[in-house]
Amino acid sequence: MLHTTKVPVADMAAGTGDPAYLSVEKVSKAYGATRVVETLDFAVERGELVSLLGPSGCGKTTLLRLISGLIGADAGRIVVGGRDITKLPAHKRNVSVVFQNYALFPHLNVSENVAFGLKARGIAPSEIPSAVENALALVRMSDFAGRPVGALSGGQQQRVAVARALVVEPDLLLLDEPFSALDRKLRETMQVELKSLLKTKGMTAVFVTHDQEEALSVSNRVAVMNGGRIEQYADPVTLYTRPASAFVLDFVGLSTHLAGTVTAAGEGWITVDTSYGELTCPGHFTKGAKVLVGVRPERISVGATPADGMTVLSAPVADVMHLGSKTHVYAVPTGDDRLVAELSASDEIRVAAGTTATFSWPAEATLLYPAEATP
Amino acid sequence: MSAATEAAQAPPEMRWRVDPFVLLAAPGLLYLAILFALPLALLLLQSFRDADGHFSIAGYIEFFSDPINLAVTWRTFRVAALSTLLCLVLAYPTAFALARARGFVQSFILVAMILPLSVGVIVKAFSWSIVLRSDGIVNSALVFLGIVDQPIRLLFTETALIVGSANVFLPFMVLPIYAVVRQIDPSLSAAAATLGAGPFFRFFRVIVPLTLPGVIAGVAFVFSLAISMYVIPSLIVGERHATLSMLIARSYLFFRDAQLGSTISAILLLIAIAVVLGSSLLLRRFEGTRV
Repeated sequence: MLHTTKVPVADMAAGTGDPAYLSVEKVSKAYGATRVVETLDFAVERGELVSLLGPSGCGKTTLLRLISGLIGADAGRIVVGGRDITKLPAHKRNVSVVFQNYALFPHLNVSENVAFGLKARGIAPSEIPSAVENALALVRMSDFAGRPVGALSGGQQQRVAVARALVVEPDLLLLDEPFSALDRKLRETMQVELKSLLKTKGMTAVFVTHDQEEALSVSNRVAVMNGGRIEQYADPVTLYTRPASAFVLDFVGLSTHLAGTVTAAGEGWITVDTSYGELTCPGHFTKGAKVLVGVRPERISVGATPADGMTVLSAPVADVMHLGSKTHVYAVPTGDDRLVAELSASDEIRVAAGTTATFSWPAEATLLYPAEATP
Repeated sequence: MSAATEAAQAPPEMRWRVDPFVLLAAPGLLYLAILFALPLALLLLQSFRDADGHFSIAGYIEFFSDPINLAVTWRTFRVAALSTLLCLVLAYPTAFALARARGFVQSFILVAMILPLSVGVIVKAFSWSIVLRSDGIVNSALVFLGIVDQPIRLLFTETALIVGSANVFLPFMVLPIYAVVRQIDPSLSAAAATLGAGPFFRFFRVIVPLTLPGVIAGVAFVFSLAISMYVIPSLIVGERHATLSMLIARSYLFFRDAQLGSTISAILLLIAIAVVLGSSLLLRRFEGTRV
């Protein structure tokens, strides 16, 4: 059963040109009048590690539960490896989930937890011990096989949860905020570990997180979700350097955020009036348009003499925060507007809080979005 | 002072340490010791004494040599066991409904469960006799509907006793199971499903084992109450189907035979302890045959 479902998948040539391995097509889910996921399209290639990133309530966990079959879709289609699983109950989908709280069975010990899925699938009892051993070895938990799960640390519980999910050879692995219960240091270790483990296994995985740093560092591609829709689905670099919307700009990474009005518009350039003064940058807005100006902080220099073609603003410095390898310089905020620059440790810090400094950046580093209609 | 120093120098495992929180149980333990353990011990001692105060097991021999007594013992056990079973069957799904219900519905079920406890057993038993007697509502309905030709005996039967006692003891089964069910993390069932476990596998390999502690507590409560009940059988079945409790009362009140009374008490206590411990061991063992 297990292997017959896997054969067509293995036959498919890995790499380019394939139809998407996981394909979510026009899927919707509503609870009463609340539309949690709205005619959403989402696709993952074979062997990819993709994250769903967004604030709580954006629909990312709902999408995960729709793919796993824990909840049913109101409309649309979900296909994994060419198999339409839309109507299948969770236990027939061959899609494993690592839960946020790991959901280890408290009445079973470590190896019994790992063996659970194999027994549920009716795997021959003679094959189970070696499969369990291999899975535990994979997550370096062999020494804990007989332990009760209640006696494990958070990181160990997560390893067991991963072993339990992988031992059944799922077509797809879903992870729901798998690192959120771990402290920072352990989280980073586990991220690296999991990423290399999934790569070794060639496992296709989707994981949900609200932590943008985690999404950028762990996954090949990130789908940023907001209000039940995907705002942008791209690789981490594109997501950071070319955010598709103001929401992505704000949600992913640190950014300057200035509301402004276009006061002059020329051939491919505009002048925008902001609360810190006027700036000129490349853009295609008409005069009088309300815009949002964003700049990634590492593109901004502070206190330097701006070269030609740089966009320049002058602002009082509110705070200079030394963060070890980098330093953040914040201008005094005006309303919702903020201006922040990131200097590397090798940069000379020429400014101090309370003084006024020039913030300058290459004009093409300016990101422009139409301001939201809401006042 | 010197004792304290000595204690401090002794290796840690030699020191006699009391968790201060244990002291919180002291008043309760003292109360139980004086008003429960001591009288019970004296009662048990009495069952091994003859009229002259000498050690004797004559009471036990006398009791077991009478076939009527054996029949009563068996009936007492059977009624208690079936009543416990009936409670379990009714309470198990109820506990899940109660745990799943929210707000008003949950309060309603809880009140419906607990309020009848405040109606005394005597009131309950007499009200049943109104409903169950030969010219009562149930019989009238049965006759009217043509299900039976003439009123059937509902009162003074063992079935009535089992159904009636289960009615009284139901909350003692529902509440401990409910307390455990509400603690079960819903993601466990979800995790089992995504691992390939269908509804039956999930129920028997995840939900049932996790509710066992509540089931054990409920069985212990209800069986102990059911095997020692006196008022309910006296009112529902009377002398026709006597139980051990009624024999005990009779021994003390009518025969003035303290040894026989204490002997039957000891036997009753032994059965209750054996069944409560035995069922808990059995269930634990069932839990031990893990997935």
